[in-house]
Amino acid sequence: MKLVDIVGLRVSFRQHAGVVDAVRGVSLHVEEGESVGIVGESGSGKSVTCMALMRLLGGAADVSADSMVLDGVNVLDANARTMSALRGKSAAMIFQDPMTAFDPVFTIGHQIVETIRTHRRISKAEAREETVRLLERVEIKNARDVLGYYPHQLSGGMLQRAMIAMALSCRPKVLIADEPTTALDVTIQAQILQLIKQLQKEFGMALIMITHDLGVIAETVDRVVVMYGGKVMEEGPVEQIFDNPRHSYTQTLLGSLKAAVVNSPAAEEPQSAAPALELRDLSKIFVLKRRGRIFHTLVDHQAVKGVNLVLPRNKIIGLVGESGSGKTTTGLMAMRLIEPTNGQVLVDDSDISTLDHTSLKGFRRRMQVVFQDSYSALDPMMTLAQIVAEPLNIHGVGTYRKQTEQALDWLERVGLDRNFGQRYPHELSGGQRQRVAIARALILEPTVLVADEPTSALDVTVKAQIIGLLKQLQQQLGLSMLFISHDLSVVRALTDEVVVMYRGRVVEQAPTAAIFARPQHPYTRSLIDAIPVSNPRDRRLRSFLSAADIANATPRLSRSALAADADAAELPQLVAFAPGHLVEAVVTQ
Amino acid sequence: MILYILKRLGSIAVTFFVVSVAVFLMMHAIPGGPFDGNDMPLSEAVRAKLMARLGLDQPLYVQYLNYMWGVLQLDFGVPYQSPGETVLQLLANAWPPSLLLGGLGVLIGAPLGILLGMAAALRRNTWIDYIASGIATLGLTIPVFVISMLLILVFAVWLNWLPASGWGKPERWILPIIAYAAIPLATYARYTRSAMLDTLNRPFVTALRAKGLSERRIIFQHVLRNSAIPMVTVFLPMFIGTATGSIFVEAMFRVPGLGSFFVSSIENRDYPLEMALVLIVTLMFCIAYLLSDIAYALLNPRIRVEGRQ
Repeated sequence: MKLVDIVGLRVSFRQHAGVVDAVRGVSLHVEEGESVGIVGESGSGKSVTCMALMRLLGGAADVSADSMVLDGVNVLDANARTMSALRGKSAAMIFQDPMTAFDPVFTIGHQIVETIRTHRRISKAEAREETVRLLERVEIKNARDVLGYYPHQLSGGMLQRAMIAMALSCRPKVLIADEPTTALDVTIQAQILQLIKQLQKEFGMALIMITHDLGVIAETVDRVVVMYGGKVMEEGPVEQIFDNPRHSYTQTLLGSLKAAVVNSPAAEEPQSAAPALELRDLSKIFVLKRRGRIFHTLVDHQAVKGVNLVLPRNKIIGLVGESGSGKTTTGLMAMRLIEPTNGQVLVDDSDISTLDHTSLKGFRRRMQVVFQDSYSALDPMMTLAQIVAEPLNIHGVGTYRKQTEQALDWLERVGLDRNFGQRYPHELSGGQRQRVAIARALILEPTVLVADEPTSALDVTVKAQIIGLLKQLQQQLGLSMLFISHDLSVVRALTDEVVVMYRGRVVEQAPTAAIFARPQHPYTRSLIDAIPVSNPRDRRLRSFLSAADIANATPRLSRSALAADADAAELPQLVAFAPGHLVEAVVTQ
Repeated sequence: MILYILKRLGSIAVTFFVVSVAVFLMMHAIPGGPFDGNDMPLSEAVRAKLMARLGLDQPLYVQYLNYMWGVLQLDFGVPYQSPGETVLQLLANAWPPSLLLGGLGVLIGAPLGILLGMAAALRRNTWIDYIASGIATLGLTIPVFVISMLLILVFAVWLNWLPASGWGKPERWILPIIAYAAIPLATYARYTRSAMLDTLNRPFVTALRAKGLSERRIIFQHVLRNSAIPMVTVFLPMFIGTATGSIFVEAMFRVPGLGSFFVSSIENRDYPLEMALVLIVTLMFCIAYLLSDIAYALLNPRIRVEGRQ
C-alpha cells in the first residue's frame, strides 16, 4: 500500500493582489521505506505540497485534490483530532531553520518530552529517558545536559540534530525534511545528511527530502521528483535523472551543477605591478560582555589572528571557512568597514589602515563590496537607477543626467532591462537584486571587489548565472576580487587561489587546482570531503573530524621538506609546503 | 543581575532628584501663594507672619533643601489645606478608596482584556474580532468621564439597579470599578491581540502543529507563554497609574479618594502636598518599571540563560 498518495493536488493562495496558484495539479506517491527527493527552486511549490499533505497551510490557502491519502487516512476530509494524531506519528517534519522551529521559551527536553507524551501514554520520567536515548542516537554527546538547554544555547547543527531527535520520537512512517541543511555550514550539512540517511535505514522510515540543491538529492534519495512552477516536470530513479534527464528544466538544473566544476584558469601574466590589495598581520579582537553572578566580565574574542594575504591584480582569491572562522570579518577589515585591532591594509601599496575619514574617501572609489543579503543591502525607498547611481553622486562624478545614464547602462551590463531604472528593490527577485548590487559596486570601476557570500541566498540556476556574470565582469574590468564563501563548488569554479580560514587563522593557501588536488591541512580535507557529490553513484560513507581531531592531525613537516626555510617549533606555523602552497604545520628538524 | 539592579536603583535616585527639582521649580513658578485667596483676605502682617512660620520667606534653594531633608526622613510636611494632620496622614486616609477601586478595576479589566484579545486573535477577521477590537477602540477613545456618565445614566437612572455615587457600601463600588476597568481592558485587549498574532505567525507554531500537538495546547502553552512576555511588563505601571486614583472617576462617583488632591494641591498652592504626591508617584513608577524589567528578564530565557555550546 502506498504510504503517501497525492493525486491532482491544487493549492492557491488568496492575496490582496489576487489569487496565486502555488501548486497546479501535482501527483506524488511514496512507498513505505522509500526515499523521495523533491527538487525545485523557490516558488516551485515543493514545500507547499508537503504542507498541504500535513494540512498545515493556513486559512488563506485553497486546497483541493482528487485524493490525498497519508498512512491510510484521507487527509482532505479528516477532522482536526485525526490530523493531530497523524502529525508526528505517521509523518514528522524537520525544517530549514532550526533556530526558528523551536519554541524559544521552553527547553529542548521539555519540547521533545511533550511530543512523545502527545502520542504515547507514558510517564514523564519514561519520556525523559526516551528523550536522552534519542538525543544520544542523533550523536549529541552531552544529551543529559542538553535536556535542560534552551534553543538559543545550541549551535545550528546541534539544534537540527535535536529537531531530528524530536521528529523521530514517535517513530514516524515518513520523515519530511524541508531544506534541512540549507541554513548550515557545508561540513555540518554533510554530517546531518549522513545522519538522516542512517536513521532512515535504521528506523525503516520513508523519507521526503525537499531541497533546491541537487547535491543533497544525489547524496540521499532513491527517486526524484522535479518541480517547477507548481507542476511536476519529471520523475524517476535518481540515476536516471542524473544520467538521462528528459525535461529541459532538469537539464538546466544539472547544467548549473556541472558548470560549477569546470574552471578556466586566467591567463598567466607577469606580476610586475604592486598587488591590488595586501593584508599584513591583520587581527581583530572583539570585546564581549560575559555576565557573571554579580559582575560583568569583559572577554576578548580573537576573531581574526594575524592574517597575511596578497591579492594580485586581475585575480580572484577565494576565502573559505565555516561560519565563525573570521572570513567575513577579514573581508570587512580589508574594506575598513570594520576597524582592525592590529595590522595593515595596503591598497596599491599605500597603507590605508590609519587614514582618516576624508583621506580614505579617495580609496573607497577603488574598493567596493557586494553583500550576501541583497534585500537588506538595497535601500527600499530608492529606485534602482538612484541606487546604482549613488556611488557616482557620492564621489561627485559627472552631472546628474550623466550619472543616471551611466546607471542605466550598468543595469544593462548586468543583464537587466533599462526600464528597470524606475523600479524599486521589492519588485525584483533575489537574483535580479544581486545583479543591481553588483552594478552599484562596479559603477565606479574599482580595482578591488570584496564579494561576501554573494550567491548563498540564491537558487542553483540563478547562482550559476550570477557566478558567470561576476567572472565575465572581472575579466572585462581586470578586477581583483576577494570572494568569501563557504560553498566550495562555487569557489572551485570561480577562483584562481584559495585561502582556507579556520578559527581566525589561515590554515592553508594554494592555487585552486592544487588545493583541491592535494589538500594538506586536515580542516581543508574535511571541507573538501564534505562537498555533496554531483552524481548519486559517488555516494560514500564519510567520517567526520572533531575540533580535537583536527588539532591532533596538524601536519608535521621536517625542515628539509619545505619549499622555503622556517624554524623548527612545537607551535604550528604557516609554512611553504610547495612553491605557492602554504599550510599550517608543525616544523620538525 | 545584582549589579544591574544596583545600577537601576542608582538611576532611580537620579530620576527622583531631577523630578524633585523640576517640580519644585515649576510649582513655585506659578504666580501666587497659598494665602492669596480672595474669599478670606488676610492682612499684610498676618500673611507675612504665616509665610515666615512656613518658611516661605526664605530663598527657594533653602526651602528646597529643607523640604528634601524632611523627605529623606519620611517627613513630607503638613498640608496647608488641612493643617490638622500631616501629609502622610492625609494620604493614608485618602489613598485606600483609590487603591481599592482603581486596583480592582485593573485586576478585573486586565484579565478580561486578555480574554477579549485572545478571542480576537484566534478568530481574526471574523465578527468576534471586529466586536472585540471595537470595544477596545471605544475603551481607549471615549474619555473616562463620559463612560462614567453613561454608566450612571444606564445603571442608576434608567435601570435603577445601582446607586449613582457615594462611598461605603460595596454596591456603590461597582460602577467606579467598571469605569476604572475600561482603560486596562482596552489596552490589554489590543496588546494581547497583536502579541498573539505576532506569535502565531512565527515558524515554530507550524513546527508545533507538525508534531501533532492539539490546537488548544499550542495556544495555551506555547503561544500564550510567548505573548505573555511583553504583556507582563505593562501590568505594574498600569496598576500604579490607575490605583492612584482619577479625579474624573472620583468626582463623578463622589469617591473620597486621592484623585482630587492632584488638582486641588496645585490650585491651592499646597506645596508640601503637591511635592509629596509627585515624589511618591514618581518613586512608585520607577520601582514598577524596575520590577517589570526584572520580570521580563526572568520570563525570557534568552536573557536569563546565557551561553552557547
